[in-house]
Amino acid sequence: MRITLVLTFIIMLTGCTRQVARIDPGVSMDLSGRWNDTDSRAVAEAMTNELLTSETFEKFAEEEGKKPAIIVGWILNKTSEHIDADNFIKKIELTIFNSGLADLVESEEFRDKLRLERAQQQDFASNETTAQWGQEIGADLMLFGEMNSETDVYNNKRVVNYVITLFLTDMETNKRVWYGQKEIKKYIRN
Amino acid sequence: MRLGLPSFIVISLFFTQSCANYYQSNYSFNAAFEQGELERALADLQSSPTRDYKKKEFLYLANNGLLLSVLGRYEESNEYLEKAFIFGEDYRKNYLDEAASYLTNPMVTAYPGEDHEHLMVLYYKAMNFLKMGKRAEALVECKRLNIRIQQLSDRYNTDKKYQKDAFIHLLMGIIYEADNDFNNAFIAYRNAYEVYQSAYKELFNSEVPAQLKEDIIRTALLSGLKSEFEYFKSEFGREDYEYTPPSGGDLVFFWHNGLSPIKAETSFNFIINRNGNVVTFVNEELGLSFPFNLSDRDEKDKDGLANLEIFRVAFPKYVERPVYYTQASIYLAESAYSLQQVENIDLIAKQVLQQRMTLEFSKALVRAALKKVTEYEMRKESKTFGSLIGIINAITEKADTRNWQTLPHSIYYSRVPMKLGTNEVTLELATSTEETPSKHSFTYIIDKKGMIFHTFTSLESRSMTYGYY
Repeated sequence: MRITLVLTFIIMLTGCTRQVARIDPGVSMDLSGRWNDTDSRAVAEAMTNELLTSETFEKFAEEEGKKPAIIVGWILNKTSEHIDADNFIKKIELTIFNSGLADLVESEEFRDKLRLERAQQQDFASNETTAQWGQEIGADLMLFGEMNSETDVYNNKRVVNYVITLFLTDMETNKRVWYGQKEIKKYIRN
Repeated sequence: MRLGLPSFIVISLFFTQSCANYYQSNYSFNAAFEQGELERALADLQSSPTRDYKKKEFLYLANNGLLLSVLGRYEESNEYLEKAFIFGEDYRKNYLDEAASYLTNPMVTAYPGEDHEHLMVLYYKAMNFLKMGKRAEALVECKRLNIRIQQLSDRYNTDKKYQKDAFIHLLMGIIYEADNDFNNAFIAYRNAYEVYQSAYKELFNSEVPAQLKEDIIRTALLSGLKSEFEYFKSEFGREDYEYTPPSGGDLVFFWHNGLSPIKAETSFNFIINRNGNVVTFVNEELGLSFPFNLSDRDEKDKDGLANLEIFRVAFPKYVERPVYYTQASIYLAESAYSLQQVENIDLIAKQVLQQRMTLEFSKALVRAALKKVTEYEMRKESKTFGSLIGIINAITEKADTRNWQTLPHSIYYSRVPMKLGTNEVTLELATSTEETPSKHSFTYIIDKKGMIFHTFTSLESRSMTYGYY
C-alpha cells in the first residue's frame, strides 16, 4: 500500500541528526546579511592599518620624537542593529598593539580597576614590589568613531550600506590628526 | 459476551483518547491558577503525571517558570525558563511522531511552542534577573532575544505578518538602559517605535505608547546623539523637552492584565470533488478549496478518495478570555502616570495561528484523507473491520489545542520617577463600567539611584473570580 511507503520514508527521516562543524574563525561566512564578525574584523584591521601608516600620523610621531600613545575612546552606533561596539574596539586595540607603531593606553574601565589594585598595593605589597603613583602614561591621541547605516528595502530585496568613520584627535590641541571612512555595502535577497 | 480484538481496540481507544481539549484536560491546574491559588496550582502542575511528558515538556517548563516568577521565586523560575529556552533551541521534529499524527491527531507530537511563546520565555527570564539586580545576566537574555527576533523577521518578507515584536524591542531597550548602555537602548527603543508605527498598527491597530516616545528622546540625549535628539523632539511635538534625572532613578512598572486565549477545537465539513487525477476538498462556507494531485497514486488510493463524499476535520481556534480591567494608573504624591498597552498577547496568538492556518488546513485534510482511505480499503476486505477503523478514526480525530495558557492577555508599561528615601505608590485598576477602581499600594525605599522593576499581575477575566499578585 502506498501509504505504508510514504510512512516508511517519513520514519527514515527520523535518522537526521544535528550537525556541528568547527570552522576557521578567519573564514568569511554570511548568513543573514547583517553586520557580523567578518565585517568587524575587516573594518577594524583595514582602518587601523590605514591610520598607522598615514602621513599625518607618521608626521605626528616624528614631531613627538617617540611612539605616540593612543587611547580608544567611544564608538557610537547609529545603525538600527545592536552591533557590539566593545568587540569592534578590542579589534582596533589589538591591531594597534600588534603594529608596534603606537603605544596603547588602557580604557577608563580598566584604569579604574588598576588604580584600585595600586591603592591596595600601597597597604599590602612589599616596598620593592609596590607600583608607584604618578607613573601612568598620558595618551597623546584619542580615537573616536561612528557607525551608520542606510537601508533600502523593496519586497524581498534589501541593500544596506554601512559607513564607519574613525577620527584621531590630538589630546593637547584638539586638532584632528587623521580621519578615515570605510563603507560596506551589502545586497541581500531573501 | 466475549469481546473480539477489534472491539477491544475500540474500547481501549475510547478510554485513552479524551475528547477534552488541552485546557479541559488540565482543569484542576487551570482552576487553581485562575482563582489565584498559585501554590496549589504549582503543586498540581509539579505532581502532574509524567505520562506523555515529552509531548508537553515546553508547556510544563514555561508554566513552572511563569508561576514561580509570579510567586517571586526568581532563581527557581529561571531554572525552568532556561530549560524551556534550551528546549526551543534544540527542538527538532520527530518524524515518527509526525507520521503517527497523520494517522491519529497532532496531539501525539511534542508541542514545539509558538513564536511569541518562545519570546515570552526570555521576557520572564530577563525580568527575573532585573528584579534580582543581575543586570549582566539580563543582558545575556537581551542578546538571545535579539537573535530570536532576527530569526523571526527573516522568516517573512511582509509587514502583514507577525515577524517583528515591538514589545521585545522595547524590553531590550529597558535592559540596555538598566546597564547604562544608552546607545543600544536608543537603538532598541527606536526599533520598537518603528514596529509599533508600521506592523503593529496594521496588524493590531496599536498606538505608539507615549512612554516609549519619552524613552527615545531621553536615551538619544543621554547617548549624545544630538541630531536624533532634535529630530525626535520635533517628531513627537516635544520641542520643550527637558530632562531632569530623578534623584532615586525610575520605577519600571509592568502590569500583566488578564489571561491569554485558550486554544479550542472547531470542526469543518469538507466535500470532495474528483476531476481526473485531481481531487479537491471544498468548504463553501469558509470559501476554502484544497486541490490534491493523485497522478502518482495507485488506483486503490484514487478509488478510495473518490468514494469519499463528505468528512469532518478538526482545526484549532483561539478563544479569547476577555479582560475585566481595561485601564490602570499609578499615583505618586500628586502625580498620575497612565499605564499603556505595549503588547496584546491575545491578538498576537490569533495572528500567529492565522498565519499558518493554510498549513494547518492542509495537514488536517491530509490526515483526514489518509484515515478515510485506510477505512475504505479495510471496508473492502472486511466490512466489520472497516467500520471499526471508521469508529477509531472518528474517536482519534482532534485538533492540537495546546498553548501556553498562563500568559497574560496583555502587558502594560509605565515609568515612575523615584526620589531617594520612601516612595508611596498607588495602583488603580479600572473597568469599562463605572465600578469602583481596585486600589493596590506599594512602598519603595530607594537608597541608591537606579532603575527598579515591578510586575503586577491581575488574573481577572470577565465572569470568573481571581486573585492579585
